[in-house]
Amino acid sequence: MPIIDSHLHVFEKLSDEFPREVNDQCPADRAETAEKLLEVMAANGVDQAILTQIGGTQLTHHRYLQYCLKTYPNRFRGIGLIPRDEWDAPEDHMDRLAENGDIIGFRINEIGGSADPLSQMDVRTFTSYRIWKHAAKKNYVMWLYIRAKDAHQVAFMVRAFPEIRAVFNHLMICPGEGMFSWDGEGRPHINTPVPPMTRYSMLGLHEYPNICVHLSGQYAFSQEAWPYRDLESWHKTLLAKFGADKLMWATDFPWILEDPGYDKLVQVIDELLPDLNAQQKAEIMGGTAKRVLGFPDVAD
Amino acid sequence: MRRPTDAERQEWEDNGVLFLENAIVGEDLARLQTTFDRCAAEARREWLEGIAKGTRPAAHFDIPRPLEKDDVFIDLIDHPGWYGFLMDFADEDLILLAPQVRTLPVSPISYVGWHPDVPHTTPLHMKAQIYIEDVPADGGAFGYVPGSHKPDAGACPVVRPLDSMPGHKVYPGKAGDVVLFNSYGWHTSMVNRTLKPRKSIILIYEKWSKDRISTKHFAAIAHKCTTPDRRRLFSLDER
Ligand SMILES: [Fe+2]
Repeated sequence: MPIIDSHLHVFEKLSDEFPREVNDQCPADRAETAEKLLEVMAANGVDQAILTQIGGTQLTHHRYLQYCLKTYPNRFRGIGLIPRDEWDAPEDHMDRLAENGDIIGFRINEIGGSADPLSQMDVRTFTSYRIWKHAAKKNYVMWLYIRAKDAHQVAFMVRAFPEIRAVFNHLMICPGEGMFSWDGEGRPHINTPVPPMTRYSMLGLHEYPNICVHLSGQYAFSQEAWPYRDLESWHKTLLAKFGADKLMWATDFPWILEDPGYDKLVQVIDELLPDLNAQQKAEIMGGTAKRVLGFPDVAD
Repeated sequence: MRRPTDAERQEWEDNGVLFLENAIVGEDLARLQTTFDRCAAEARREWLEGIAKGTRPAAHFDIPRPLEKDDVFIDLIDHPGWYGFLMDFADEDLILLAPQVRTLPVSPISYVGWHPDVPHTTPLHMKAQIYIEDVPADGGAFGYVPGSHKPDAGACPVVRPLDSMPGHKVYPGKAGDVVLFNSYGWHTSMVNRTLKPRKSIILIYEKWSKDRISTKHFAAIAHKCTTPDRRRLFSLDER
């Protein structure tokens, strides 16, 4: 089975060819290119990866992502973003990004229903409804990094569209309001209890056959250095509930390149789930991603 | 105070669960319902703020520190409708661990899968779930696997879907009904598929063991616990 890094980011320096948004994390002159990624992947025996869009939601912002997908068609699949002001009619944007078949899904952080769990829930009124509806129609994957106040709404959407393949990023943790900061290395840090309070709204989703979870982003939630021992028990909970055939390993490159290093992330599953059998390990390290996300055979 | 009959004690031993109809009725129940709603309304905003910050669960809404909010909750702890049963099961040496005054929102999934609360190494651990309003089978009713409290039951399996658990039983009830259960056994909240949140109170008890609950833990209500029985129940004195 291939080793697949199922969530990470690449970007080029800002240019006319590759326009993107600029911020402290991704200043105009910073580049974390596909070539650099492929080098570090090769050095660590990683075969393929999901490139998740960063640097803006507009079609033009996706140019570098599209360039990478086109240049290395057997290596990568992509996840796109949708401008917030197009959520009420996102279909055209989604289809244009997905037309080559290499952008396979879309990332959102909001479900957009009522923040009060005791109110009536009608998914058709949720702000992300049209995205889900179109994803169901076109078999797009939903890439989810959901804010805490929307966590209880997810199950309603999943019930409405059980056929959608949905992948919860970063340990299924849902960041709370005001809990986001930048760490000393300019990376996101999320102040959250682990296990997260949102688990009561999320773990039950294991009943649905198309829900997957990323084992990734440990650096952002842990209070410890690698191997992030304080997250071990949460990894075990996710394994017990979802099973290895629903879990996907990822590094969140490039944010882990310096600390702890890509090689350390390749080992993180061995550290935090030491009791996996070979089959389970192979599923988590790539088998699940290959099957669920439809990666081509590497040799093709 | 009601005490278990021999048949009820046998059922408890065999199944680890006992359903008590009309355990709290009339004025007592009406006062409890009113107080539940008032305290929930007062606590709601703080809960919603906590949800947004990720510091409180959205999947269930517990009123914080209920014993300090109204005496009606204190009176539940040794309520004659079930206290005699728990005392009997705990060989007359019972302590309270915590109350959960809980509203369960409607959701397509359960907030908690099948699980035991504690391993058999813990002293006998019991809960009383009091239904504040009628709870239909599809309204987040309590589910239990009778017999799963026994030491030879093995590990609790992960099942999909929730209601495919072999041998489980669902306990719908009327307002004022109470389910007593041994927490070694496998249990869950069934899915609430109705349009109405479930209201219930879960009281957590254990057979006394040394230093389980600090004498300071319930100090805020010590002045309301003047009888020796209550002082023991709330662990107010060193033993
Ligand atoms: Fe429990």
